[in-house]
Amino acid sequence: MTGTLIETEDRREYRATRRRDLAVDLSMALATILAALAIGFLVMLATGNNPIKAYEVMLTGPLDRSFRVGRWLEDATTLTLLGLSVAIPFRARQISLGAESQLYAGALAAGTVAIFLPLPPVAAVIVPMVAAAGAGAGMGLVPGSMKARLGANEIVATLMLNAIVVRVYDYLVNGPLKEPGSSAVHSKSIQDDSALTPLTDWFGTPMGRANIGFGVMLLTAVALWLLLTRTPLGYRIRMTGSNPGFAEYGGIKVPRVIEWSFVIGGAVAGLAGAHLVQGVYGRLEPGLAGSLAFEGIVVALLARNNPLVVVVAGLFYSYLRAGGDIMEQQTDVGTEIVVVIQAVIVLLVTAQALPELLKRRLTRRQVGVR
Amino acid sequence: MSSLLDVVLSSAFLAAVLRVATPYLLAALGGLVAERSGISNIALEGQMLGAACTGALVAGYSHSVALGAVCGVAVAALMGVLLAALRLELGADAIIAGIGLNLLASGGTAFAVYTLLDDKGGTSGLKSGTLPTVTLPGVESVPVMGDVVSGQNMITWLAFLAAPFVAWLFFRTRFGFHLRAVGEMPDAAASVGIPVRRVQYAGLALSGALAGLAGVFLSMGYVSFFVRDMTAGRGFIALAAVFLGGLRPWGVFLAALGFGAAEALAVQLGTLDVPPQLVSTIPYALTLVALALYAWRRKRRGATAEVAASL
Repeated sequence: MTGTLIETEDRREYRATRRRDLAVDLSMALATILAALAIGFLVMLATGNNPIKAYEVMLTGPLDRSFRVGRWLEDATTLTLLGLSVAIPFRARQISLGAESQLYAGALAAGTVAIFLPLPPVAAVIVPMVAAAGAGAGMGLVPGSMKARLGANEIVATLMLNAIVVRVYDYLVNGPLKEPGSSAVHSKSIQDDSALTPLTDWFGTPMGRANIGFGVMLLTAVALWLLLTRTPLGYRIRMTGSNPGFAEYGGIKVPRVIEWSFVIGGAVAGLAGAHLVQGVYGRLEPGLAGSLAFEGIVVALLARNNPLVVVVAGLFYSYLRAGGDIMEQQTDVGTEIVVVIQAVIVLLVTAQALPELLKRRLTRRQVGVR
Repeated sequence: MSSLLDVVLSSAFLAAVLRVATPYLLAALGGLVAERSGISNIALEGQMLGAACTGALVAGYSHSVALGAVCGVAVAALMGVLLAALRLELGADAIIAGIGLNLLASGGTAFAVYTLLDDKGGTSGLKSGTLPTVTLPGVESVPVMGDVVSGQNMITWLAFLAAPFVAWLFFRTRFGFHLRAVGEMPDAAASVGIPVRRVQYAGLALSGALAGLAGVFLSMGYVSFFVRDMTAGRGFIALAAVFLGGLRPWGVFLAALGFGAAEALAVQLGTLDVPPQLVSTIPYALTLVALALYAWRRKRRGATAEVAASL
């Protein structure tokens, strides 16, 4: 690498800062998790459960057998994609709660293509995923441009869109897309060629419904990280998020950046829908996503919207979920405690001002000493 | 089509509208109070859930419906205070803290019910009873109105009184003036000596209490037990009504009533040949359009103001 001494030094310092930021993000996430687990411990103790046994089962359970690992990875794929999908608008300081509508739109698109459109082998996997990303992006565009062009509140817009899309999805699965002759409510199965290859085929051990969607998720995370840190658009998104007024002043077209952040996020949430249809269920089912969309927000917050950390947070969070299920099967403690732990995590994450406050007090003391 | 009209105009349907609209009305007015105080209360859902669960549990164990209702409302008000504290003391984002509270309520209520009753579904094993209904002696015999109004739960009555109460509070009392000033421009309010934090704490407590009444109605009015996640997104719909109503008490009242009517209609249409899911999207689509129109109008007005200012 050529350049003046100052340039190299500058670059080195920049890298060091970034490494430090990553370390801070990771350790904050870890500290939050430990604090939440401690509170869960106390709650179990107070309600007369045996927290040591419960945590032992919860924390070792998911690795116990290979299909349990698969269950974990399958959940982690959806959850991480959803976390990534909100992390991008969050980075532009847009509170998008629209992952749910984007996911369902993506699932619908992937499902209809994968069921009805005859395609050659490899295209049969890719085309539905592209359709899902497109549909998700479209669902992101609606609140995105409402916010960017009109200044309409994005929280209300995304919530309304969620309610609409979920109901339309429900109608389609119960009506036009319902498998004829079946008594249960679900669509026809997707064509065999459209299914995401299960990890079982790769590793030779039973891995449940985990599939190569996991790899797609990892690639997406890296791509988004590169987008944020290495491209002009990523720079604009970060600038818009950290100081919109300054970004505007610096010649960044803030509304357009906001719109893009919604579209990109929507596309990723659409992929999560494709993963559920092509990888997990193999057809359109009612209530496909459960409460996952909101939990994606938790994952993004925990990772402080850093795409690479989102993967770690997603893996951890789904580990908790998987562990909670096993805990419920093997002990008297229900999965509800896991939800409580998750809620505590969110509340602790929101109180990010706490470390800031500490830091400020520390600096003040230092200044005072001088 | 004529059968549809028959259904809509029947007094039974109108009575159902009042009943279905009750939780929306109360929660939406709660959302309005919070919004006007400058802190969005997205935790309406969790507050309703917390109140519904507490109400049923306390009433079941103490054999006192009134005590249950009071405790339920108190829990929701406390959740409002907690949200305000997270926002004001710890600098948390109100939306994200609200999501956390919703999760906490969903997990916490399920955990409490399971721990106490060893039942995953809800408190149907516990006899907790319902709040009394109100029958007005004179009104009952009035032809249509009697059937619609009489015999409604007391919380339905409270819900319809809550709208004028909030309007009175906002525009006729000192607290209301302070609340709106704080929400509009906290720094200016502080500069004239309004205790900004105290007003916001009070606003969020009141907001939570109204949502709590809505929650209590679900578990002690609609039915006499608590079911896991029984709010089913009503808090979010109420939030939509807050914005659809243009942040004004009577606007919010009408919006919430409209949502209630739409839901009651969707239930009725289930018996006819119209897909209820599609009918129930109408209020949300309306809100979305209204939101866009409202923002567009404000933007145009803002643009003219800008031009005027530059002259």
